Amino acid sequence: MTAECLARALGYPCVGREILQEAARTVGVPVEDLSERLEARPSLFARLTQERKRYLLAVQTALAKHCVTGKLVYHGLAGQFLLRDLPGVLSARLIAPLETRVQTLTSSHHRMTQKAAEEFIQTVDEERRRWVKLMYGADVEDPSLYDITVNLQSISLDTACVIIAEASAQPQFEVTAEVRKRLEGFGSECREQLLGMGG
Amino acid sequence: MAECLAEHLHYPLVAREIIQEAASELGVSEADLSRGMERTPRLWNRQSSERRLYIAAVQAALAEQVAGGDLIYHGRAGQVLLAGLPGVLKVRLIAPMDLRLRALTESEGMDSASAEQYIRHVDAVRARWVKMMYGKDVEDPVLYNMVINLKTLSIPAACSIVTKAADQPDFAVTKEVKLKLLDFRQACRVKLALAKARDTRSLDLRVEADGKEIDVFGAAPALSSGKMGEHIVDVARTVEGVETVRLKLEWFDPYP
Repeated sequence: MTAECLARALGYPCVGREILQEAARTVGVPVEDLSERLEARPSLFARLTQERKRYLLAVQTALAKHCVTGKLVYHGLAGQFLLRDLPGVLSARLIAPLETRVQTLTSSHHRMTQKAAEEFIQTVDEERRRWVKLMYGADVEDPSLYDITVNLQSISLDTACVIIAEASAQPQFEVTAEVRKRLEGFGSECREQLLGMGG
Repeated sequence: MAECLAEHLHYPLVAREIIQEAASELGVSEADLSRGMERTPRLWNRQSSERRLYIAAVQAALAEQVAGGDLIYHGRAGQVLLAGLPGVLKVRLIAPMDLRLRALTESEGMDSASAEQYIRHVDAVRARWVKMMYGKDVEDPVLYNMVINLKTLSIPAACSIVTKAADQPDFAVTKEVKLKLLDFRQACRVKLALAKARDTRSLDLRVEADGKEIDVFGAAPALSSGKMGEHIVDVARTVEGVETVRLKLEWFDPYP
């Protein structure tokens, strides 16, 4: 919801799952397969390493293509790693207390009980933590991975949107001609690497 | 950063003054108060009572300022001393080690090795203290409303972001918020009185205020004289404006 609010405030397109869909088309598999393989549990990791790398690179390439304009709100898989150290990119993380997240989930999925929502959130968090550790050797909760972390405990989504929009308007994130060139270069590097892995 | 915020928001800047006020209230030196707050307990009872007193004094000094009007506090443990209060925006700034080293070597003329040693020492002391006092990890982002990483963002950029956040309705000091801040100040005054009084200073108590009514929580020894409850009520009533004191204590046998 914050991503959409932010996209509206900035006048940028908002992408999430579309990136996975594009990546799936590039590697010629259904998007469900790509998601499943990317997020496979660690026990399958060794067997899937090459395939996983290729899929992840396909996601990075699709994302890089959208980033070239420097105007994009991405809310999806591993943005903080896929676009790490790129100029003009603001990485933001939103956190919220479990009870707030449970309430959001149960109010949007009326058949979901509180207990089921809690279990779902805990499972998703654990899977994500494990995935990030495995893929990048990092702790997904480490604030140093992001430019800004906003806690929704006492901050509304609208305010979070205002705060992140303000951060993105700072000169450090201005998309200058030089930054654009770097983003284009990043896109080309990703494409070449993906071709090197069989497209 | 704090100075930039004070300039943008036109709020007074408060940091060391809080420790000075607390030290003056207790009649100790600033250095003794700082050391006493940070000391790792050995002689548990004596030192924990002393530390509790020092912290109660610091929190009370901060509460006086917070209830008195808008301010920017950049001092010790604001995120825990003011935890749960409305109208308070808690911000943490983080920066990579190389940036912190550069800032310190430039401002203090230190060599890089000494600067790194100093930074690691201060970080460790701060982390240990917050863990010991509040059982929290100082780096946990849930303690703050936002965490800003100075790796890419500059201090003026961080200042603009925080100024914008402080202007949002989530942090407006409405009439209700003002009342909560006054209640917080009253609770801190009572807590300090309890931490100072001979009969109650050994107790680890939590205090809440709602106007003229006070609730006291915690564990207390069930003395044979049966007077501990009376002591607490009497001490709380010495604070101006306190009319009703409700004890919500768990009594324990001091000689099991």
